[in-house]
Amino acid sequence: MKPAISYHASPLLASKTPVWRSKFIMALLALAFLGLAGRAVYVQVLGNDFFQSQGEKRFTRTIELPANRGRVLDRNGLILASSVLARSIWALPEDVDKNDPKLKDLARLLDMPLADVRRRIASDKSFVWIKRQVDEPVAKQIAELGIKGIHQSRAYKRQYPEGEAAAHVVGFTNVEDVGQEGVELAFNGQLSGKNGSRRVIKDRLGRIVEDVREVVPPVDGQDLQLSIDSKVQFFAYQKLKEAIAQHKAKAGSVVVLDARTGEVLALANYPSYNPNRRINLTGEQLRNRALTDSFEPGSTMKPFIAALALERGLAKPGTPIQTAPGRITIGGSTITDAHPYGVLTLSEVIQKSSNVGTVKLAMQLEPREMWESYTQLGFGQKPQLPFPGAVSGRLRPYKSWRPIEQATMSYGYGLSSSLFQLAQAYTVFARNGELIPVTLMKRDEETPGVAVYDAPNALAVRKMLEMAAGAQGTAPKAQTMGYSVGGKTGTARKQEGKGYADKKYRAWFVGLAPIEQPRIVVAVMVDEPSNGVFYGGLVAAPVFSETVQQTLRILGVQPDMNVKPQIVTQAVEESF
Amino acid sequence: MMRLNLLLLVAVLGSAFGLVHTQYESRRLYTAIDKAQSQAQRLEADHEQLKVHKRERATSARVQQVAGGQLQMRPAHPGITQYVAPPASAPAAAPTPVEARP
Repeated sequence: MKPAISYHASPLLASKTPVWRSKFIMALLALAFLGLAGRAVYVQVLGNDFFQSQGEKRFTRTIELPANRGRVLDRNGLILASSVLARSIWALPEDVDKNDPKLKDLARLLDMPLADVRRRIASDKSFVWIKRQVDEPVAKQIAELGIKGIHQSRAYKRQYPEGEAAAHVVGFTNVEDVGQEGVELAFNGQLSGKNGSRRVIKDRLGRIVEDVREVVPPVDGQDLQLSIDSKVQFFAYQKLKEAIAQHKAKAGSVVVLDARTGEVLALANYPSYNPNRRINLTGEQLRNRALTDSFEPGSTMKPFIAALALERGLAKPGTPIQTAPGRITIGGSTITDAHPYGVLTLSEVIQKSSNVGTVKLAMQLEPREMWESYTQLGFGQKPQLPFPGAVSGRLRPYKSWRPIEQATMSYGYGLSSSLFQLAQAYTVFARNGELIPVTLMKRDEETPGVAVYDAPNALAVRKMLEMAAGAQGTAPKAQTMGYSVGGKTGTARKQEGKGYADKKYRAWFVGLAPIEQPRIVVAVMVDEPSNGVFYGGLVAAPVFSETVQQTLRILGVQPDMNVKPQIVTQAVEESF
Repeated sequence: MMRLNLLLLVAVLGSAFGLVHTQYESRRLYTAIDKAQSQAQRLEADHEQLKVHKRERATSARVQQVAGGQLQMRPAHPGITQYVAPPASAPAAAPTPVEARP
């Protein structure tokens, strides 16, 4: 059968195709390829940066690797401050349903009033913090609530296990983990690390599949080992707190120094605060009084005059000094003793704390000599301690001293010092005339000091300090079981305005123990005791006694005095 | 010639599939490492948290509270302490055991 149409015989096929057509198609195709090549050059070469960055924007993420803040440890490696993982709760207000009943649970979990949570969510900002540094378990419960628009992010929270006892030394950080007070502030640079980062490609499910560039690892902050012994610190704080409650005082401080190494074993103040819960803190609570407040130290300055008199050869420990009739007038002002004593030896002047005897000695000294001696002891200068707010106290240049001022300065009025400065100054008696440099960092080896007095003179004054804490002295209550002690009381009237307050006092006691080979220097100050007694020997000395007892026991110092054993053994009946 | 071409084609295809698989495997392992690393970090953080908790449970304040309150203990002082002087010389080596005789 013949096909209806004979294709082979199609006249169209028979006609010759013009050559330009195929050339035209070829040219079009070539043009298209050229276009592609051009586009490729544009994408790969000319606009490469733009496309690369657009690609990265879509798949790569930079992740910050937070560095850990260093820990603060005590001398035995116990934690005083450490950062633990916490969560910060934040919200995208426009995503949150303001009438969600679960908001009530959220407020309860966060320990916040519901109104406060609502107020934050009602904000017209696109991002708000609800609460930062929330503990992990609470954060988990919040996540389980599944409230829309409420999110969490990783954060660190600083924890202070010792609480209020060590609060002033350790200080605290803010929510950004930056030191605000104490060691946290003073050594912020050393403690805070450097965050690292990594640039990664994430897949559709948000999993990291590749690192784009090398990881910059985080550098953790260094741990800081302080010289503080947390047990000594606690006992010092506790005894101070008890004394302040007993004597209805306003405030107080205790400083314990290691006389061998110059390390600060404890530095406690009351009132204190809990660094883990810093709500409604007052300036009173925050002040590290032992370092930041300076006061007139009263009679605690007298031993320095005795030592200087011995140095200058003005007297010997047994030299008699007439203190009768218990008062002395200098430049129209009268200085009196609490009781008229008559003739006292130099040792007894310190033992009984006679103002008249001390003034009589001091007036034989040149003002320059006194000023130089006080300066060598560190008065009027900032202690070499990198602590925020440490004060220098006040010691006026000797050229402007009037005779009455020289007289009052000999028994601790007209100049001011912090309790810490006073404690350090007393190291001269503990170390046979050498003033030792103090440190807040663990040192653990005996440190050479700067000679201020000759050793025999320092030893003689140490003997006087022992007498002052003896039965006939001003502070028999400073004695403690098993250990010999020595020290000096001070009861200074408080300044108010231009004069002195009528019945406001500061009770001081600074001393050392054991007296033969002093291991520690303890300084105590109680501000405004107002429960009937206010003398340093009755208010501050008992705190000294108990602190010495506990500190020497903790340090493993064997008692140097015989103790009547009170060990009672009772035979226990054997059961059968 | 044809055979060689086929062989090369198979080799190219094999290598291409191999590449895809290796890339997939490498990403899978990378994710696993990353997960393990973040778990290590979390465990480390937990460890630190537990150390702080442990310290909180053993502070002097708490020890004193428990010892004085629950256990009726009192602070030690030299009056009730028996001091034992350390031996003058280092302790002698343990005596060599002597055979027991009947």
